Order: sequence, then C-alpha cells, then structure tokens
Amino acid sequence: MKQTKIMDHLFRHQYGRMVSILTRIFGLTNLETIEDAVQDTFIKAMQTWRSELPENPEAWLTKAAKNRAIDLLRKIRADQNRILKLENGPASMVLNDLFLDHEIEDSQLRMIFTACHPNLNSNNQIAFALKTISGFSIKEIAAALLLKEETVKKRLFRARKELQNKEITFEIPNRFELPNRIDRVLEVLYLIFNEGFHSTQNELLIRRDLCTEAMRLCKFLLKKEELSSHSAYALFALMCFHAARLESKVDEKNEMKDLKSQDRSKWHFPLIFAGNDAMNKAVENATLSTYHYEAAIAAEHVKATSFESTDWNRILFWYKKLYDLQNSDFTLLNMVMVYIQLKKFEMAEQLLDSIDPDQLEQRAYLYFGTYSELFHQKKQLNKAINYLEKAIGLVNNQLERAYLQNKMALLENS
Amino acid sequence: MKEFMLIFLGPSYAELKLSPEEMQSRMGKWWGWQSKMEEAGILRGGHALHASAKRISGESRTVSDGPFAESKELVGGYYIIKAKDVNQAIEISQDYPDFDLNGSVEVREVMVFEQ
Repeated sequence: MKQTKIMDHLFRHQYGRMVSILTRIFGLTNLETIEDAVQDTFIKAMQTWRSELPENPEAWLTKAAKNRAIDLLRKIRADQNRILKLENGPASMVLNDLFLDHEIEDSQLRMIFTACHPNLNSNNQIAFALKTISGFSIKEIAAALLLKEETVKKRLFRARKELQNKEITFEIPNRFELPNRIDRVLEVLYLIFNEGFHSTQNELLIRRDLCTEAMRLCKFLLKKEELSSHSAYALFALMCFHAARLESKVDEKNEMKDLKSQDRSKWHFPLIFAGNDAMNKAVENATLSTYHYEAAIAAEHVKATSFESTDWNRILFWYKKLYDLQNSDFTLLNMVMVYIQLKKFEMAEQLLDSIDPDQLEQRAYLYFGTYSELFHQKKQLNKAINYLEKAIGLVNNQLERAYLQNKMALLENS
Repeated sequence: MKEFMLIFLGPSYAELKLSPEEMQSRMGKWWGWQSKMEEAGILRGGHALHASAKRISGESRTVSDGPFAESKELVGGYYIIKAKDVNQAIEISQDYPDFDLNGSVEVREVMVFEQ
C-alpha cells in the first residue's frame, strides 16, 4: 500500500536525533557543519519524497544520517587539524553501533544535557535547545520567544561559543552530578513551556509547539528510569494541567480570556487525566518540589467545574507551601488574588503592600491590576479605576492591554 | 489532449533556511498536488532536480560548474502533464506549492510533429 501521510513533526523530531548522533561522532566543535549536513538531508527528503514516500520514513532518515556521517568523516578528516582529535575521540567507535535505537536515545540524552548545561547562559540556552534538540529555525525561535531574528542568531552563536570556552563535553553526567543536572534540564523545559503557555502575543500555533516540545522532552526523560525523578513527574503533571487549558485562553476573536470567563467545556480532558496519572507518581515520594505545588494549584483549577466552585482555600494552602519553598513576589501576587476571591480584603491589602512593584520589572502592571481588582471588589470604584489606569500605562502586551481596557469599560459603566 | 511541461523556477531550498517543520508541511503540499493530478490521470511524469549542475558549452565543449543563473531563478524540477489547452495547464499550476517562496511555474507545450 502506498503511504500517504507521515507522522506529525517527524522532520522536527528526526532533526534533533540526527544532529545528536552526528555530534556524538564528530564532537560539538563541528556542530555547525553537522547542522548544515542534516538540513541538507531534509531538503533532499522533501524533494524526493514528493513523488513517493519511502516505506519507512524514519529508517530512511536514519540511513541518510549514517551516509552523512560517512561524508562528513571524509570531509573532516581532510582537515588536518582535526585528525588527531578524531582518532582518539568517539569516531573510533564502530559507526554502525551508534545507529542502534538505544544508542540514538543515548545521543539524544547527551544533547539534552549539553544544551541544558548549568554553565550556559539561560537566555542563550533556550534558543540553543530549541535549535539543536527541537529543530526550530531561527525564524521560528524568534517568533516563539518574541525576539528579533538577529538576536536569536547572536544567542545561538554565543551558546556555541560558551560550549567551547567552558569546555562542556557531550556526555551524560555521572551519578554524582546527575541529580543537579536533571534539575537544570527540568528548569529549562519549564522555561520553554512557560514561554509557550504564558505568552499571549504570538499566534497559537507556535505557542502550542513550544508547549508540545517541552512536554515531549519531559516525557522522554520519564521513560528513562534513572532520570525519571518525582519532580520530573510533577513538572509533567503541571504541563498537562496547563496545556489542557491552552486553547481556551484566547477566544475566536483573539481576545484574552481569564480563568473566570474561559469556556471550560473546551478544556482538553485527556491531558487532565494524563496529568492526574503523572501526579500520582509524583507524590510517591515525600519530598515535594515547586513543580509539585504548582501542579497542585493547576489541578485545583481544572478540577473545578465552574469558577465559582473553585476551592480557593485549598489553592491558598498550596500557594503558601510554594512560597515557603521559593520566595517569589509573583507567588505573593497570586496569593493576593486568592484572598480577594475569599473576600479576605484586609489580608489581601496587607500582602500587596509588602510587595515592591519595582521589583516586578516588566510585570509591575500585574501589581496595579491586582490593586484595582481589590478596590473593585471592595466597591471603591474610583480607586479601582485609578489603579487600572496605572496598569494600562505599564502593560506592553497588546492582548493584555485590550483585556485591561475591556475591564476599564466595565468599571466605568458600573 | 496536449502535453505540457511545467518547469519550476525559484530560489534554492538550501538558501531559504526552512525549518524541518516547514519542510515537512511543504512536502505535504507537493504530495497533495501530485496525488490530485495522479487521480485525475493527467500526470505523465516529472522530477525534482539537484541544485548543482554542469554545463557543457561551445565548440570546445567547455564544462563549467553550476548553478548558473541567479539563485532566484533555479530550475528546481518539472512535471509533464496532460491538458486540453494552455489555460487548463495554467489552471492546474495554481496548486504549485512554492508561490509564497517567490517561485514560479513556466508552462511550455510539448511540440508534436503533425504528419
């Protein structure tokens, strides 16, 4: 039977695999050459598969990667300076073995640990991870992270340079380093996911791609027994609960919807179930991470069948736990919102006053927005309007501004 | 029925720096177009072409290395199709997937010598 369709994202995922295998053979110093070679393979695949798909596209690509490895071996060997390195290095391994499934996974893991190395600058790191692990183009990274393409190019360049200057090796960390290194990987995945989930400016497609990638990589770690920590399960649960709501965050008119006005029937329930499963595994151990608490909070939200039936006391309890573990002003702001829902206005105000909005930097508008909400609930309309004006004056994001302006119209008409 | 050659001209894919995801979706479009023509029974053949080329020219058969034209005008491939007339061939060409990459289709009727 003639095949008419290949798996979604096959190219993207295979790109990461191929780059990883070839990097294991030729080393991080040849990363650019490797990426060009892999890119070239995909161009050929795209053109020849037009007329007929191979029976097994994945096997075709793996074979192509092997052929590229042989080409590169010739090309790089010709470069005198590198001969020495290669003869002592991993290239002396039997090439064929590296293309076995478990070795491919091993290479992918090395790439994940390399891209998420704690010595890399975290801004450069995210761009680099999206490029080498996930096969995003510079244009796609720019769109996903709301950056200029030039900035992305610079970050990628710096990341590659850091890898060399800091002599980062393409390896899976030893068992002493492993726990800390896994934590850093989870952190990077968490950041990538949040870029996708919390950004409201860019189109849904690329945001969904970021979330999907973060989840795919997290799942990849969970499959490996030695890497699947309880925090990794908690992070995965958190991602599932959030991702379930992704589609309903913006409506057809591209207007932002807050939790209160989201259409809960649009939530993706299979993801919520998957989140529950992960959460059950996450709590098998008594040590709880920030991901555990964030997941618990997200779970409370998706558990509620309506905004009104949300268990705010329970959520407050989790926020307090979260704050104990990680003193963040954003957690405090979230707690204020919960106090407002519980109509504990004095507590809310007290807590708000303890926050310095300057510390919130670009997100200071949230502080004033929260104040406005507090006064709105206390039926002090003038004050509510004043604070909302301040928030609108500070917000950068267009969708969020529109959301606040809608709210302003409501306040002025009430 | 007449035969037409559809010649695809455009920038080389290598220079466009498409992401794997974009390549996959573009391939899907080519696939869709080709299947549509096959089902209609109008596709006679065709291929994508490598960008690199040799040109042999002149009395002395000088061999030079390509690509020759400006990269924006590279011949990337061709199809031979059956159509009633040139207008129908143009109609069929509407599904060519690379217009958005500044690609273009040149429609040429295959010459048949009438006895």
